Amino acid sequence: MKLPISWLNDFVTVKDVSVDDLSAKLVNAGFEIEEIIRQRDMRKNIFTAKVLSIKKHPEADKLDVCGVVSKDGKHFVIVTGAKNIKEGDTVPLALDGAELPNGKKIGDTVFRGITSQGMFCGGEELAITESDYKGASVNGVLIFDKDTPVGADINDVLGFDDIILDVGVTPNRPDCNSIIGLAREAAAVLKRPFTLKELKYKTIPLKIKDYINVEVKDDVLCPRYMAAYVKDVKIAESPIYIKKRLRSVGIKSINNIVDITNYILTEIGQPMHAFDLSFLAQSKIIVRRAAENEEIISLDGKSNILNGNMLVIADAEKPVAVAGIMGGLKSGINADTKNIVFESARFKRDSIRKTSKALNLKSDSQARYEKGVDFLSQELALKRALSLIDELNAGVIAEGFVDTLAHPLKKTVVKTTAKKINDILGITVPDKIISNILNSLEIATTIDKNGNLTAEAPLFREDILNANDLSEEVIRLYGYDKIVPTLLNDAHQTRGGKSTFQKTNERLKNALIGCGFNEIISFSFITGKAFDLLKLEQGDIRRRAIKLLNPLSEDLSVMRTTLTHSVLNAAAYNINKGNAEIRLFESAVVYLPDILPLKKLPNEKTRCALVIAGEKEDFYTLKGIIENVFDIFGTAAAYVRSKEAYLHPGRSADIYAGAIKIGSFGEVHPDVLKNYGIKDKKVFIAELDSDYIINSAVVIRKFRAAPKFPSVERDLAVIIDDTTDASTVVDVIKKYSGELLEKINVFDVFKGSQIPEGKKSLALSLVFQSYDRTLNDAEIKACTDNIIGGLKKEINGELR
Amino acid sequence: MKVLIDKILNDARSEIAASGSLKDLNDARVKFLGKNGEFTAVMKNLKDVPADERPLVGKLVNEAKEKIEKLIAESEKLLSEKELKEKISAETIDITLPGKKSEYGSLHPISLVINEISDIFIGLGFDVTDGPEIETDLYNFEMLNTPKDHPARDMQDTFYISEDIVLRTQTSSMQIRTMLKQKPPIRIINPGKVYRSDFDSSHSPMFHQIEGLVVDKHITLCDLLGLLGEFAKKLFSAETKTRFRPSYFPFTEPSVEVDVTCSECHGKGCPLCKHTGWMEILGAGIVNPKVLENCGIDSNEYSALAFGMGIERIAITRYGISDMRIVFENDKRFLRNYR
Repeated sequence: MKLPISWLNDFVTVKDVSVDDLSAKLVNAGFEIEEIIRQRDMRKNIFTAKVLSIKKHPEADKLDVCGVVSKDGKHFVIVTGAKNIKEGDTVPLALDGAELPNGKKIGDTVFRGITSQGMFCGGEELAITESDYKGASVNGVLIFDKDTPVGADINDVLGFDDIILDVGVTPNRPDCNSIIGLAREAAAVLKRPFTLKELKYKTIPLKIKDYINVEVKDDVLCPRYMAAYVKDVKIAESPIYIKKRLRSVGIKSINNIVDITNYILTEIGQPMHAFDLSFLAQSKIIVRRAAENEEIISLDGKSNILNGNMLVIADAEKPVAVAGIMGGLKSGINADTKNIVFESARFKRDSIRKTSKALNLKSDSQARYEKGVDFLSQELALKRALSLIDELNAGVIAEGFVDTLAHPLKKTVVKTTAKKINDILGITVPDKIISNILNSLEIATTIDKNGNLTAEAPLFREDILNANDLSEEVIRLYGYDKIVPTLLNDAHQTRGGKSTFQKTNERLKNALIGCGFNEIISFSFITGKAFDLLKLEQGDIRRRAIKLLNPLSEDLSVMRTTLTHSVLNAAAYNINKGNAEIRLFESAVVYLPDILPLKKLPNEKTRCALVIAGEKEDFYTLKGIIENVFDIFGTAAAYVRSKEAYLHPGRSADIYAGAIKIGSFGEVHPDVLKNYGIKDKKVFIAELDSDYIINSAVVIRKFRAAPKFPSVERDLAVIIDDTTDASTVVDVIKKYSGELLEKINVFDVFKGSQIPEGKKSLALSLVFQSYDRTLNDAEIKACTDNIIGGLKKEINGELR
Repeated sequence: MKVLIDKILNDARSEIAASGSLKDLNDARVKFLGKNGEFTAVMKNLKDVPADERPLVGKLVNEAKEKIEKLIAESEKLLSEKELKEKISAETIDITLPGKKSEYGSLHPISLVINEISDIFIGLGFDVTDGPEIETDLYNFEMLNTPKDHPARDMQDTFYISEDIVLRTQTSSMQIRTMLKQKPPIRIINPGKVYRSDFDSSHSPMFHQIEGLVVDKHITLCDLLGLLGEFAKKLFSAETKTRFRPSYFPFTEPSVEVDVTCSECHGKGCPLCKHTGWMEILGAGIVNPKVLENCGIDSNEYSALAFGMGIERIAITRYGISDMRIVFENDKRFLRNYR
């Protein structure tokens, strides 16, 4: 909300208060000051100058050399290329050190041997338009009226002499989106009176009801509609002060009637509309819901197709305005307008919001209505409008108003105690101060000798509903610096901490960090194309992803059902940036809906995805990392060849815990790498079910003594078919080894000259251990003979 | 014989002294004391010595051998020390060559800040909770005193999944979930992802918040200041000061913005704090009794305080990150900085 100090001063004396002081006080009361705009700072060191002489520049055909008199009666030499000036003209002159609104700095400049001691300015250079000063749009130098004083600061000539506060207003204070609302606050923080002058105007003995007939058909969407009638209107320009004030809050002057409605929107915060009565069929105003598919061309020339949820202002035949948002193209004020109706109404806030959104139709009125307009403003606004009509002599005012107020106005009364307010604050504010503060905000408050407090909120404070609201009013004016820190003195002792799940997930992340992984965080919404990039089959469950209704873009439109896309993206980003060696992981939830469209909240499942790439990385380094993690948490995992479409079919595995699939990993399929823009590089990824790993994790490991007896190690090299997996060999060995086998480890695979075609040699080390005796050679031999026999029998394995 | 023995002894002395290495020394040992050494030869010739002189000669030989053994042992000690020294000296390496390391990974800076803040509040008796990111409009807005037509909804651009389901715009939804589930006393924080449709150098459509809630008897604005002051001192430094500025949130009344003295200049004014000496770090307030009642908590018996802070903002000031978008680019060169 733009708050010009001069306008504020109409309602509370602030002329003698420094702007910085006022700003600081408003900030302390809950109003952020986003900017202090000093109009004079926009056009510095620019003065009016009278042109005394114009001579041709001796060295340049297109330039003239002018002698002028300006600031302090001093004479200056100015070189100019402008052709629209003549001797005797008064013009704006930017002197050495001047700064134009566009930031350009002016200094002495030499033009072909002659020094120009400044520059004449045109309207554009001064950032002014025709409505600021007649002639501002002329191409060339701005020429002031004959009687303009010479040597005057142009800010005084043009009226740029105000200071404007840009005030941030929170949504609970719609009343403060107006000059008078902020004036009430300024009065309270300065402890000065707020004065609303009595609004007077002359009327003629005409009854408004004889000229206009108002009917509200939906008093829920329109709880109050007020109107006034003005005849014999003289459409004209507004006086300078109105133009200036509107300009200072960023509103363009149109004509006196339209300006009055905008002036009141700013000053009182009540949107108004002026209808030309001649356009209202049968002089009727009917406030009703639109018919389905009813059309209105709005003021901006746009065609709007309406529906039954939208409120319109109609005459006997057709809608003439979308209520509270915008008038129709042919109902507005124009040069021939004779008789007008002022509308000052309250419409339901969310109805305005929904209609505006549905029609994509916006206006200052609509923006103001969406914030909320109180019941006090309608009459005040009409009276103010009529007083301005009277003051500007712009028309003849009929007696009285139309007022359709649906329900009698009722002020909210809060009954509580001074103690309750102090209990919320935690300090003791004396009763007298509580009531003084509340009364200074026009909240009529009494506190009896037992501390019972009764507070009646004014109509413009619909936000005051309970003791907490009152306590905020008290403390923001009493001062937040009066709050003293205490540390939950009366509260119960509690023990805090993280859940087992959270703690275990942190261990999981730390394990990966120990393996050299950097944690990444990616957006939870991904592109809808992700599933194609990953080559997922059409029926794949991961394609059933939740879509946003209003995504920022297609790339961020679908809630991820897998982390694989995200980590692959991160890998591609890094590889393309030249980060050749990467180990990245992300721990986050995926969003799995039961049914689409979503009827209830989806399942959010925690996953962990890993991606590695680089010189030393391969399938087995990734598998080693996964096995390390599983070792930590005691996850019992089995590996089977994976059918994931995004993985290399020969170099990928699914991980099973019993019958449950808890992850997949392997080398990324070359097609998929291409889809992600990764060239000439192998990338390995894994996506693991963190929920399973964490929930099944061994939290406490039972004590197990280190064996007292020595273990015996035997190495075994066995020649088997090339197609036989190592896991098969291990399974056979376990089957035939008996209970003395403690550990088994595959340490080499060899294919080559000494091995028959189609075969490979697998080297394993076996560790035998007994917990009650030292094993002898015979026992070990019995074990290994049994194993060798088993290998021969089951998989045709031969000792090498 | 005595002359001969003395000669051998003298020869041995000079040969031992001349030995430059353990090998030379060993050669000398073999030459004089070995099986075929010079003393063995002397002893073999003992039969030619008159019988009454033999004991004396034997004694002289033994004495001479002992002397030589002693000399050899001394020399051996010196030589082996010398040789070890030479060996060690030859093994000198360039200690400025880089080590063979396996690189340690890193948590994301957002996780680091969340962990640090969580630890502070755990110390103050807070439980850490988790909640869903896809949330009902009811919990994210309506029960937090923000009905559908409320203008405060303009403060947050919401991602919708349906009319009634949204991406949570604030971790405040966990206030409702916690109070519906748990009876007072309640002390929780809830870190997590939140979403708003805004994307530029200072806004990310996904970011992180930590929500805090205390429900108990006689909770006051003074408690809020004390609690957050304690938190700020732990997070920044012991001399950090905290102040309230009035603000507005639909679910707290009174509502405040909380500023702390700038972590860089400690209140003197610097570019980080835009020369104000203060940094805004969070929003907070006394929970509106309507919200307590919405969750079935008697607002006459209990009161509550709540606060919520943006993690990115704290991370960005703490680490001096220039652009919000860098945080989620996942560039390894950025990430590994936080080992």
